[in-house]
Amino acid sequence: MKQKSVAITVTSGKGGVGKSTTVASVGLALARLGRRVCVMDTDIGLRKLDLMLGLENRIVYDLVDVIEGTSKLRQSLVSHKEYNNLALLPAAQTRYKEEVSPAQVKHLVDELRNEFEFILIDSPAGIEGGFRNAIAPADRAILVVNPEIPSVRDSDRVIGLLESANLDQIDLVVNRVQPGMVKDGDMLSVERVQNHLAINLLGIVPEDRRIIRSSNTGEPVVLDDKSMAGRAFNNIARRINGEEVPFLELEESSLINRIKRIFHIA
Amino acid sequence: MVFNLFNKEKERPTAATADDRLSLVLSYQRSDIDERKLKKFQGRLIELCDEFGYDVVGEVEIRPQSRSRDNTTVLNASIPVRLRGNQEEKSTDS
Repeated sequence: MKQKSVAITVTSGKGGVGKSTTVASVGLALARLGRRVCVMDTDIGLRKLDLMLGLENRIVYDLVDVIEGTSKLRQSLVSHKEYNNLALLPAAQTRYKEEVSPAQVKHLVDELRNEFEFILIDSPAGIEGGFRNAIAPADRAILVVNPEIPSVRDSDRVIGLLESANLDQIDLVVNRVQPGMVKDGDMLSVERVQNHLAINLLGIVPEDRRIIRSSNTGEPVVLDDKSMAGRAFNNIARRINGEEVPFLELEESSLINRIKRIFHIA
Repeated sequence: MVFNLFNKEKERPTAATADDRLSLVLSYQRSDIDERKLKKFQGRLIELCDEFGYDVVGEVEIRPQSRSRDNTTVLNASIPVRLRGNQEEKSTDS
């Protein structure tokens, strides 16, 4: 029996919180679990997913080309080098978000549903046209938030917009958590962020220097066994895939950190 | 204090401050409240008190609070009043 396809929009409101990193990492992790996955970049004019996945040199056609009929959908999809059950539908880099409508994006995603089990849609920052394009086809949404006031406030606004668009399943990913700062009382805890936003917690991703290295190399951190963020994104993918996976223990327990705390210099 | 070699004072955790500020900004955002609306609301509350025979004898404070369990805002109004009749009685007595 053919599995039902699910379109998930990854959004945030505020820019720079890790939406594209989440889409690239979770998309690749789902592909490694054997699922047929399409990651779709709707950030027209400012695409990133191609770089995150190391596919920037393979793009011939893009999302706008498909919508305008310049190319067929199959021609615009770029397969991953290692996992051919993962495909990227890139955004156009030299066009504008206003050139496509929510109805056109929805129609495009409906076509993708025939081929893929999961369609992860990378939303642009903001709540204007690009955001509306990204949420139009979604069955559910993932909200990526950093544990800081501007990010949480924007996310709260986005939750209101998603609810008014009749998107009922909205899950939370708290990204760039620094457990040491939380422990010292200088960063909002995941629990407080979740309490404020009152939506289901899907994942907690720690701050990780390896994320920057991964975007430099075009290899998502889920491929790096030593990366805590990579493990967190793998767990998110497994939860989306229907598994019950406990949250990672992020507490820093190194001897140096404990000594620093004793002397109040951490 | 024996271990506090660098004489670093313990300050209030900034996350607690962030938490308080977040409650306030979310409640303002959720109820679409701005200062002008609050002023107007204060004026109406004073009129309402007057209608019910109360004199407002101090500053009317309206403080929105975020209630996370159902994503709503609670408006807490503090209105110092005196019953007009009682005041008249008092002033009559004195």
